[in-house]
Amino acid sequence: MAARAFTSLPPWLRSGRVLIGLTIVAALAICALLAPQIAPHDPNEQNLLTTFLPPAWMQGGDPAYLLGTDSLGRDVLSRLIYGARVAMMVAVFASFGAMIVGATLAYIAGYFGGRVDALIGRAVDVWMSFPPVILSLILMVGLGIGLRNVILAIILVDWTRFCRVMRSEVLVIARKDYVAAARLLGFSHARTITSEIVPATVPLLITLLSLEMGVAVIVEALLSFVGMSVGPQTPAWGQMIADARQYIYDSPWGLILPILAIFLAVFGFNILGDGLRRTLDVRVTAQRT
Amino acid sequence: MLATVLTLIGRRVLLSFLILFIVSVLLFIVLRALPVDPAAMSLPPNATVAEIEAKRHEMGLDLSLPQQYLIWLSHAVSGDLGNSIQFRRGVLGLVASTLPATIELAVLAMLVASLLGLAGGLALFHVRGTAKEPALDLGTVILLSLPEFLWALFFILVVGVALRWLPFTGRIDPDMRLPVTTGFLLIDSWIAGRPDIFRSAIEHLILPSLALGIAFSPAIMRVLRSSLIDVYQEDYIHLARLRGLGEKHILIRHALKNAILPTLSLMGVQFGFLFGGTLLVELIFSYPGLGNLMVDAVRNADLPIIQAVGLTYCIVVLSINTIVDSLYVILNPKLRLR
Repeated sequence: MAARAFTSLPPWLRSGRVLIGLTIVAALAICALLAPQIAPHDPNEQNLLTTFLPPAWMQGGDPAYLLGTDSLGRDVLSRLIYGARVAMMVAVFASFGAMIVGATLAYIAGYFGGRVDALIGRAVDVWMSFPPVILSLILMVGLGIGLRNVILAIILVDWTRFCRVMRSEVLVIARKDYVAAARLLGFSHARTITSEIVPATVPLLITLLSLEMGVAVIVEALLSFVGMSVGPQTPAWGQMIADARQYIYDSPWGLILPILAIFLAVFGFNILGDGLRRTLDVRVTAQRT
Repeated sequence: MLATVLTLIGRRVLLSFLILFIVSVLLFIVLRALPVDPAAMSLPPNATVAEIEAKRHEMGLDLSLPQQYLIWLSHAVSGDLGNSIQFRRGVLGLVASTLPATIELAVLAMLVASLLGLAGGLALFHVRGTAKEPALDLGTVILLSLPEFLWALFFILVVGVALRWLPFTGRIDPDMRLPVTTGFLLIDSWIAGRPDIFRSAIEHLILPSLALGIAFSPAIMRVLRSSLIDVYQEDYIHLARLRGLGEKHILIRHALKNAILPTLSLMGVQFGFLFGGTLLVELIFSYPGLGNLMVDAVRNADLPIIQAVGLTYCIVVLSINTIVDSLYVILNPKLRLR
């Protein structure tokens, strides 16, 4: 019975990669949404009597602090759980934003071609001449720190990832007969794009979106590592790494745990994207920062 | 034929200058949007409003934005990028003294990324369709999920702190002194005849360049694999087999030669990204290059430095892209004949 139920699932849900990815992402999403309920302590609560506690299973660990404490005696587990909030918020909003900007420009460029296409292509060239890390840092200087600005900065940097890949895809689809047929039926340009071209690109969009979420987690982590992301009052993984780095000899765990958290989140999005790419059968070369 | 190649390359160089101009305008606009006043920052805190106004006038901050830009541009083309607010030194000198360190790191890291990328790509291609393929494939997804700064921290923890095999701060041992000739330690130490400094510089470069190189290798692996798979669909590979050539000969003399072109063009793009990746790696290894200069300037809102360093990154990336595109034209017989 169970086997039959499994095979009746759509193919993309039967892929092991997709399932692993979805499980990791769902777990992180639950941590992010229910952080106040799950976290055993207030993430900013300091206790200078119990600093640098190792995880509970190590010599000298305290069961009340499952993953130990940091330099100010704050609970590492609670900070990791709250850190998932920033990571997931940025992952979702920044990648959707980048998708909307990048894909819209790609539809316009690929569909109309000619001068519009050349103009958008030049804009991508200008953006590509800037290493993404440098551009996001400069944008954060201009925008000022804060969650909304981090999301905005990532959108402004990463729309080109969608635009580059989608443009060549749209270019091929827009030359198909059924698109010409839609025009002959008297569809407007806007309606041709939304009802004929967009549906054909959905698999590619979903794959790119998943990969971009991983990229967004990385960018947020490195911005908060530099201290140019959310403010010091909001726990973020990159910031935990920056704090723990100064006490590397006192407590290597403080460094290892947020590194694992970032890796797990990025791996979750990447393996999900990779699985979707295979099962939705889209040709896309995965490129990263 | 030579004329065609030169025209293509010339056009590419012109385009780069156009892009650089647009980037400098955008950079100017973004940094002028900042809620900080460079005039007030360059005066002592007890300066009066009138003094600040006078300074604003002196710095040209009361002019319109296009006027300000033109003044900046005319200074910039004559080599004057302004003075740093915090160091009170010419920005150009600061950039020139840190750029060689970053280039040294980036070139070594690119070497690591290329070697790993080519080896990994060949390995991935070799196991295609076998039972080992899923495992190696999963390996590349894991590699793709580890950005350079996580590798950097990992190496510091394991190789630097736990095993104590290699140093992980700075460019050379702190007690070593070397006269600056080119700024490239690996070259200067040879000129000065100091193999001990050369050795120290190499030791300090190993961990940062490994961290950066490993992080950028999986994309190269994947592209090489897929272009090899594409090439093996071609008729000339079947023909070579029919002629009785060995598989090794076919791979090296026929397939790799053609599969390397798309890989090379991706490596150009990757080198641009990698050059930006030096920022985080430099920060983590306290490596005195452009990245540390940039982060320091960002934290102190030192606009002239941010602007100059931003442009420097851009110039390097554009130069790399131009060189790779030119190489592509020279190496690709199809483009050459046109």
